[in-house]
Amino acid sequence: MSDREVDQQLVERVQRGDKHAFDLLVTKYQRKLGRLISRFVRDPAEAEDVTQDAFIKAYRALPGFRGESAFYTWLYRIGINTAKNHLLANKRRAPTSTPFDNEEAESFEDGGLLHEVSTPENELMSKQVVDVVQSSLQQLPEDLRSALTLREIEGLSYEEIASVMNCPIGTVRSRIFRAREAVAENLRPLLETSKGNRW
Amino acid sequence: MKTEISALMDGELFEDETEGLLDRVKRDTAAHKDWEVYHLIGDVLRQPEYIHCDLSAKVRECMRNEPTVLAPRGHAMKRKIRAIALSAAASVSAIGIVAWMSLQVGSEAMPQIAMQQPGARPASAQIQPKSNDYLMAHQEFSPSTDMSGGASYIRTAAYSSDKK
Repeated sequence: MSDREVDQQLVERVQRGDKHAFDLLVTKYQRKLGRLISRFVRDPAEAEDVTQDAFIKAYRALPGFRGESAFYTWLYRIGINTAKNHLLANKRRAPTSTPFDNEEAESFEDGGLLHEVSTPENELMSKQVVDVVQSSLQQLPEDLRSALTLREIEGLSYEEIASVMNCPIGTVRSRIFRAREAVAENLRPLLETSKGNRW
Repeated sequence: MKTEISALMDGELFEDETEGLLDRVKRDTAAHKDWEVYHLIGDVLRQPEYIHCDLSAKVRECMRNEPTVLAPRGHAMKRKIRAIALSAAASVSAIGIVAWMSLQVGSEAMPQIAMQQPGARPASAQIQPKSNDYLMAHQEFSPSTDMSGGASYIRTAAYSSDKK
């Protein structure tokens, strides 16, 4: 079952009145959408508010979502509109005149215009999280690190990774899980010490 | 279960496994945490410059005041029904075409048989004795000579025996 189909299943659950299913979608897309919105709304705290607002609007609009496009493509449009409306309400212009399209929504990886969300209370924590993840990745055995990198950064499917690494798909699945779990093991103590904010 | 959650995130789980696992991730706090942490790891690897705390708690808080959304059953069901209807229509039309073709073939074959059977008898029955000589003389121009002439002689012999 593809990633898009998993999203569609979650969407259908929400459409049947299951609010918790929406929670899983928020967890999945919050940072991707947040980063997109931060291209329009420069202030980090405002960007977070707009991201939150975009999710609420998406939740309200979800009964009308027919699954003709991917869920994120649809959410992306809502995010852009919410950000633009926010700027209009505050009489500011969007920082870019470049039109956004659905294709970009699927492969939004531009880092050039991005800025760090650095609310005072989160800045240190963000840095620590990034450090732990990156140092944990470096400590992984080569095969685990490659498998996780090919999946998370390059976006390859298990079949493609199996072909690149010349091993069975089951091995890829196992390596990716072991890599994630090794990084998570190092991350959990840090996340548990975070006061008030969940990560 | 963590292995399955990892595969679910990557869209690499079978449909029958996905249904049950999504239920467990929703209900089981530990599984939900794993879902969150694994996604955080992915986000850090892809976009380390944009990492913020989990908004889902805040969104959940806002959603408490939101009425539960209920889509008209239609959307998901309509798509399934449309898919079933289309495949059924395709099957019916395929069967129809096959049936029509077989009927066409049958209706073309039948007259040939029907024409040959009644045609054979009257032809021999209506042959006048006077025309036999004519037929004998011109039998090599007859289409029946394609059958290497032997058949014509057999017929002639049969005619002669009838005479006796």
